[in-house]
Amino acid sequence: MQLSIARENLLKPLQQIIGAVERRQTMPALSNLLIRSNDQGLTLTATDLEVELVATLNTELGETGDATIPARKLLDICRSLPDQAQIMINSSNEKTVVSSGRSRFTLSSLPAEDFPIIDDLELDVSVVISEGDLRSLIEKTAFAMAQQDVRYYLNGLLLEVDAEYIKTVATDGHRLALSEIKHKTDVDEVRQIIVPRKGVQELQRLLTNDDNQVTVALGKNHIRVTLPNLQFTSKLIDGRFPEYQRVLPEEEGNTAKMDKLHLKQALTRASILSNEKYKGIRLIIDDNKLVVQANNPEHEEAEDEMEIDYQGERLEVGFNVVYLLDVLNALESEEVEVIIKDANSSALIVSSGKLESRYVVMPMRL
Amino acid sequence: MKHIQQLSPQLVNQIAAGEVVERPASVLKELLENALDAGASKIAVELEQGGMQTIRVSDNGHGIPQDEMILALARHATSKISCLEDLEQITSLGFRGEALPSIASVSRFSLATNNNKDSNAGWILAGDGGDFADGLLPTRQACGTTVEVKNLFFNVPARKKFLKTERTELQHCEAVLRKIALSRFDVALSARHNGRSCLDLALVDTEQECVQRLGQICGKQFAEQSIYLENDAQDIKIKGRISLPTFSRSQADLQYFYVNGRAIRDKVISHAIKLAYKDVLYHGRFPAFALFLEIDPAQVDVNAHPTKHEVRFRQARYVHDFIRHTIGKAIAETMPKVEQQAAQQYREVVDDYIRAAQINSALPGDDYSGIGHTDAGNIAPGGVPRGIQEPSSAYATAALSDPIVISASELSPHTAEDAPPLGYAIAQLHGIYILAQNANGLIVVDMHAAHERIVYEKLKILHQEGELATQPLLMPLTINVSQQEAALADQHQELFAKFGFQIERFGNESIVIREIPSLLQQADVNELVRDVLADLNMFGSSEKLEQANNKLLSTMACYGSVRAHRKLTIIEMNALLREMETTERSAQCNHGRPTWVQLSVDQLDKLFKRGQ
Repeated sequence: MQLSIARENLLKPLQQIIGAVERRQTMPALSNLLIRSNDQGLTLTATDLEVELVATLNTELGETGDATIPARKLLDICRSLPDQAQIMINSSNEKTVVSSGRSRFTLSSLPAEDFPIIDDLELDVSVVISEGDLRSLIEKTAFAMAQQDVRYYLNGLLLEVDAEYIKTVATDGHRLALSEIKHKTDVDEVRQIIVPRKGVQELQRLLTNDDNQVTVALGKNHIRVTLPNLQFTSKLIDGRFPEYQRVLPEEEGNTAKMDKLHLKQALTRASILSNEKYKGIRLIIDDNKLVVQANNPEHEEAEDEMEIDYQGERLEVGFNVVYLLDVLNALESEEVEVIIKDANSSALIVSSGKLESRYVVMPMRL
Repeated sequence: MKHIQQLSPQLVNQIAAGEVVERPASVLKELLENALDAGASKIAVELEQGGMQTIRVSDNGHGIPQDEMILALARHATSKISCLEDLEQITSLGFRGEALPSIASVSRFSLATNNNKDSNAGWILAGDGGDFADGLLPTRQACGTTVEVKNLFFNVPARKKFLKTERTELQHCEAVLRKIALSRFDVALSARHNGRSCLDLALVDTEQECVQRLGQICGKQFAEQSIYLENDAQDIKIKGRISLPTFSRSQADLQYFYVNGRAIRDKVISHAIKLAYKDVLYHGRFPAFALFLEIDPAQVDVNAHPTKHEVRFRQARYVHDFIRHTIGKAIAETMPKVEQQAAQQYREVVDDYIRAAQINSALPGDDYSGIGHTDAGNIAPGGVPRGIQEPSSAYATAALSDPIVISASELSPHTAEDAPPLGYAIAQLHGIYILAQNANGLIVVDMHAAHERIVYEKLKILHQEGELATQPLLMPLTINVSQQEAALADQHQELFAKFGFQIERFGNESIVIREIPSLLQQADVNELVRDVLADLNMFGSSEKLEQANNKLLSTMACYGSVRAHRKLTIIEMNALLREMETTERSAQCNHGRPTWVQLSVDQLDKLFKRGQ
């Protein structure tokens, strides 16, 4: 196989797909990229057997054929070559020669037939959605995914598609994030899939805020998102996501409205003196007033007071401040509503008047 | 078809021998225990071929009356108990009345005894394989009993095959001898093997002799590197010696535990001791100990196993906690201390050096900033070089600007015994070790290890005082366990609640965790709860939760303490030394490594062959 390509044209797709290549490998083929040049064009494929990324390049085709090349090395070479450089890739059986100007690199390659490619996807449902919307769905919820939890089905993001809406939900058992958009689809019955953590993170990295239409196709065991010049495929977590509706509190109760930025600043300040290991803070919600309190084992105390819009009984609730700050960072509005029944039940946090994104945080007993 | 028939007494005894008599060592154990129960103060043991050929145990106890000798060799015949009340209050080592007939049935056996203090005329009963056809014969025997067991298992070839080499069997016999020797300091014990003396222990009167015997049995090192402990609650009493955490073994071999004089191995007790050592012992190391527990005999059931290695405590939990607490406290108190005697010695040395220094400084214009200077400076208890009068010395100038050191220099050499146990810092070595001098000589402190322990102990106290924060779960965690474990979890809800867990039984074979302690929210709760349940099942209590907490605090302590290669000033170093003196368990870091060592002036003198 032989091809010639401008550095800039190669660098961006390489950077997009490199995330799928794990740094440490037991299977040598997985540290390589598959470069495939045929009638349809030139594609680069990276995979870790769970997530597969395929980039399509617009370039003049040289000789057709397949080759695999060490992925990170190729990226590092591209990155360090000067701007406007023209890169020649010439691959024979065992060696691939990458040359540009007076630089020349001989890389070892592995047989292209050994490169694992995810096939037989059996995609049966597909939804077209704007790139920005998909990105927002993920961004608003992904932070609440569990990490290496024994309940493996929590280590990912739930994507729920119905005729009228698309929803994402994530929870680590302590807090939950939900985001939904109204979107007409031709799905006739509710469909739930769980995308694994790594897949979610890679997808989030690829998506931009553009209005490009992307296709999300779901199969029994896979999800495939097709972006312009890029195709993302991930295996799914085979499991049942917990019934999240049951833990969503009622939208009625004691509602406190407050300024998001002020709250965030007050929490950040108070957290300095909270227990460094579990970051507990106490919120005292009273008539139009919120007091944020924290103390640590060294008996140091912080207290921060702010005005809020609240008429109701006095409430004193403990929270893990990290969970609250995560929520505030995900919310976009200037004003937030905290809806809470009592000190022992979970709190619902939303943007004022908007229920598209809902966050549930369990209080902490301090 | 085979017919049911009554077995012959001979066969019954041989079956019983299977339980009690496994190898020569078990015969020896039974005979020694009989000797002790007979009130002997002197026991002589003779072995041949590791006891396989001959085991002869002679004692000077009260002997057996002539007319009871035949009965002594009958099954279920004993003088040690006579009614159920006795069985519940056992104060003797044996009581089942099984050992002698069992042993006699599998060996060529002879029993010579005399219960008359004033005569040497005794009687002997001898026979092979439990057949005493010859009856009683007169023999020469001082007051006491001599039992001779020859050709063990001569009539049970199947058993004999399982005997190991002479050397191995001898080792087992020696282990029995050591166990017995440790249990009774008031008994003189001697042993010979193939005609050569292998153990000779005299009666012990004084505390010093006691330590000496301990050294003879457990090794001199143990005797030196162990601490004495004693605790007396109303109904339970413990005393003995435990090894310092820095003296640990790679095997659980030097572990002797006695309940009312009986050597036992019990898992409740091993667990209690293990816990007491938990955060001072290096991973995979075992402590050494010789401990004597005295408890009301009614509170302990020794009738659990024919060989009586195992016992059952009526209040296992209470005994467990008592032992753990006593040992834990003894270890916690191993803080640096000054030994008065050493301080005295040191003062004499100091006086010599001071005189020498005065002569030196009397010489005007003499510039001795080199070796001579530090030599004199080294022994001043203030940690201040005496060369302080010399502005030419850079070190002295630095010390001058150091207010704490100055005040320390006010300590005259005559108050040497007032110097703190870890002395005053002199310098830092390679950014890793602090060098300090105290009354005995040089102290070398591993700075990171020491500080880690201090921070850790502080964190522990803070977290014990602080309120417990818990995190209720949005999605309760369901764990599948066995039915028994589920029931245990249900029973011990309070224990879990104490550590911030809320656990409920959920159906037959699963439990649901609704609340976890905030401190452990990153931990693997699932595994932790399982471990706790396993412990509860085995020992009736569990320290796993506390351990999990401590592990976390220990990691925090590691990050929160000064690292190697950090330059410390003299003030900081002295402050660290003072903190070490007041911190519990400060002699070991969190991983059980020592934090400081002492190089005494004597040891240093040896290095330089001074005064030799």
